[in-house]
Amino acid sequence: MGRPSDLIQGTLDLLILKTVALEPKHGWAIAKRIQQMSEDVLQITQGSLYPALHRLEQQGWIKAQAGRTPTGREAKFYTLTAAGRKQLARELEQWDRLSNAIGLVVREAE
Amino acid sequence: MPRWLDLLRLRARSFFRSTATDRSLRDELQTHIEEEIAEHLAAGITIAYARAAAMREFGPVARIEEECRDTRRVAFVHNLGRDLRYTLRSLRHQPLLVMAATVSIAVAVGANTTIFNLASELLFSTPSARDPERLVRIRMSGNSHASYREWHAMRESGALKDIAGYQIESEVNWRGPAESVSLIPLIVTANFFDVLGAPLAMGRGFTSGEAAVERHPDVAVISHGFWLKRLGGDRNIIGRAVVFNGRSYTVLGVLPAAFRAIPGYGVAPEVYLPLSRELMPDLDNPHAAVVELVGRLPDGQTMTQARAALAVAGRRIGAVFGDPHFGDVSQFTPAGGFGRMGDFKTVGAFFAALLVAVCLVLAIACANVAGLLLARSTVRRREIAVRVALGASRSRLIQQLLTEGLWLALFGTGAGLVLMFVLMNLIGRASLPLPLPLELHTEFDVRLALYSAAILILTTTFSALVPALQATRPSLVPALKQDEPRYAHRRWTLRGVLVIGQVAVALVLLLTAWLFVRNLTRASAADPGFNTTNTLVGQVSFVEGQYTPDTRAEFLRRAVERLKALPGIEQATYARGVPLTIRSGLRTGAELRLAEGGNPFQAQYEVNLVGPDYFSTIGIPVLKGREFRLADRGGAPVVAIVNEEFVRRYLAGVDPVGRHVLLPGAEHATYPAEIVGVVGNSRYRTIGETQQPAMYESFLQRGNRSRLVHILVRTRADAADMIRDVQQVLAQMDTSAAIDVQPMESALAFAFMPSRIGAALFGVLGALGLTLAMIGLYAVMSYAVSRRTAEIGIRVALGASRAAVLRLVLSDAALLSGAGIGLGLGIAALVTRPLAMFLVAGLSASDPVSFAGTALVVTVISLTAAWTPARRALRIDPVTALREE
Repeated sequence: MGRPSDLIQGTLDLLILKTVALEPKHGWAIAKRIQQMSEDVLQITQGSLYPALHRLEQQGWIKAQAGRTPTGREAKFYTLTAAGRKQLARELEQWDRLSNAIGLVVREAE
Repeated sequence: MPRWLDLLRLRARSFFRSTATDRSLRDELQTHIEEEIAEHLAAGITIAYARAAAMREFGPVARIEEECRDTRRVAFVHNLGRDLRYTLRSLRHQPLLVMAATVSIAVAVGANTTIFNLASELLFSTPSARDPERLVRIRMSGNSHASYREWHAMRESGALKDIAGYQIESEVNWRGPAESVSLIPLIVTANFFDVLGAPLAMGRGFTSGEAAVERHPDVAVISHGFWLKRLGGDRNIIGRAVVFNGRSYTVLGVLPAAFRAIPGYGVAPEVYLPLSRELMPDLDNPHAAVVELVGRLPDGQTMTQARAALAVAGRRIGAVFGDPHFGDVSQFTPAGGFGRMGDFKTVGAFFAALLVAVCLVLAIACANVAGLLLARSTVRRREIAVRVALGASRSRLIQQLLTEGLWLALFGTGAGLVLMFVLMNLIGRASLPLPLPLELHTEFDVRLALYSAAILILTTTFSALVPALQATRPSLVPALKQDEPRYAHRRWTLRGVLVIGQVAVALVLLLTAWLFVRNLTRASAADPGFNTTNTLVGQVSFVEGQYTPDTRAEFLRRAVERLKALPGIEQATYARGVPLTIRSGLRTGAELRLAEGGNPFQAQYEVNLVGPDYFSTIGIPVLKGREFRLADRGGAPVVAIVNEEFVRRYLAGVDPVGRHVLLPGAEHATYPAEIVGVVGNSRYRTIGETQQPAMYESFLQRGNRSRLVHILVRTRADAADMIRDVQQVLAQMDTSAAIDVQPMESALAFAFMPSRIGAALFGVLGALGLTLAMIGLYAVMSYAVSRRTAEIGIRVALGASRAAVLRLVLSDAALLSGAGIGLGLGIAALVTRPLAMFLVAGLSASDPVSFAGTALVVTVISLTAAWTPARRALRIDPVTALREE
């Protein structure tokens, strides 16, 4: 189960940034998208999603715009900013390094 | 947009538009839930089930909102606003608590800010000038004043941007519509207004061109007070003529009302006149002390650089004038603000002692409020327990309880500041026996705002932090589930400890007050060595140029003759100075030698120039020889009279009468004066001074150039009845002279002023501290009795006597105040020692009588404060008390 506490620290930010990089999305859609893409392995609870969104907004990496959901509700749509794009690149790079490193360790131990 | 600007905008939005952000947050979460429901519905589940499932998945909405808010880092502000509203609402139901706390804090803050304001205004005010921080006070080679030519040379040297001079020691006569009045002007160098750049309410200041000494300047700038009070606030005064010393001056400008003059200390000269030979005939004497110096730093130079440049210039000037020490810059300090700290010692220390005292009063007041809040938190135990059970964190609860303290402190400080303005107004109006006009300008400036803010924070912390910590103790929570035990009595409660502290601090304050009061009674009872009753002092200031030395002597002779002819007048004379007033004479240091032989000796002594019959008029006994006679006039052999102390110190072993002492004259010459008498010792400058040697010279030989003379009159009956007659006689003889006659006792008020002010201020603070502490003790005892009602009821039911009940309550009070008194005496023994510098000789700061007396007073008053609660305990009816169970 991909509970957020099981996620490696900081991975949630990466997931959110990556998700909104393609097109603006609102909170619920972000959660759904991550769930779908991970084939239901990663389920983001709202209790960690929204504080994370607000933190990323305060950092200036994503910004919110008003919009309508496909079901016709008013919602805040989050978009990646220029600073966010750079941050995403940094985080991706870091993720690659980290997963490589873990992979090396784990395989070595086999 | 740069990223940091964007971030700033976001933070600002969360901060200022917190309600709007909160609403948008709630909407966002709501949308999420609705989307979830929509999805469930699409899967074919009933709406009720879908909603429940969505909510379950979502989790606690409030907690998530809170967490989101935390990421915005505005939780503190958000909570503060809510706490402020909540606590204000709950305080509305506690009018008594609010009132008691507000009054306690207001009184203490009022006293505190008043003293602070007085100190800051009298000692550290900044003179009204352009860029006052670039102005410096200058003293060369230790002299307070510079001569005219020294000022001129220093100015010409160009070491500073410019240097101005001023002096406040002169008087001028202003011819008013009704009578001549003697005024204190500020006599200033021509460039004074150019250097200072002082603001003016009307007109302008004089320029160095038009006010130069060579042009015999007749222009003036007047103060707002002079314009309003003496000239009736005439709007068209600019360009009009005003007569000073019989000479007409054109008014060029009027200073603004809130003008802080350059001498500082609140001194407010009434008029500003340019330096001239007419006002200062002594101007060209190279040794005459004419002006104090104030300079403006050259642009871009630091104090150190400018000082060094001035020292170089000073050495060059000194070489020209033959004064090798003139290059010593003995003072070079900022003209205003805290840079003046070094200018005064005793006065500054006095204010420091006062500030400590008012802060102690504030501490006692805070302890009172803390006691009230402690009692309140005991009542609110349940409420607090419930909130803890619901998950409120300790820090959150403490924040809320502190907010309550913040409100009380705000009310108290606000009321205290109002009180301060009232007090400052009263002090400003009080007429002090000062020879100089003083003005206090009270305004809510940055300094006072910062001080008030500091007081607010301290008051909040001291009065609310301890109760808040106590109320939210984690160990308390389980115990809260049941009621408090009804029969347990704890003697050493936190409130009890607070009261001990209060009593101790109050004792220290009261002891200080007691010391100052004893100091005053000692000073008043001290014998000045001359007669102060049935004596009148008339100060006469002549118009310059009205008399020659001979006609002045003639005027004085006739005045004394006519006064003596009045019925009820026993004796009359005249003198240059009057002891124990601001004009007590000169203090001289010189190398003296007897003409008859013997070694030269360095002597430091008081000098006064007195007329015939001076000693019999003022009541100083002539021990040997004679006193001055009318024959001791110009042309006759020079005579002098010395006091006992002078003989003891400098002429031991010789019979002084008939000897000649060589006195310093003009330009290094000496002249012999025959000692014709020895008189008794007396006080000269202050009542508490150590005995000083003194020499009197004949007024008719040495003093008849001076513009200012004192007429002394001994009356047979009450002197006050004769004031009008004396004033009339003198005014008839010279209508142009300014004359001010008053009884000797009121003329001496100046000498007693420091001890009077000290006694009054510390007396009030001591009484205030004791009252506040006793209110604290009373509250604690009342509370204890109310808590012990059931216990006392049982005791009485079991047969305890009235005396036993009384003892039960009073012994607690005695224990608290006893501990407080013991602690206070210990502290006092350590801290009152530095007060010795303000006390008359012979009164020790660890005076045992004062210590014992204060302890007794505090004991008696503490028992009085505990008496009413004790009486209440006596009235407890066992049946009623037990039925309440």
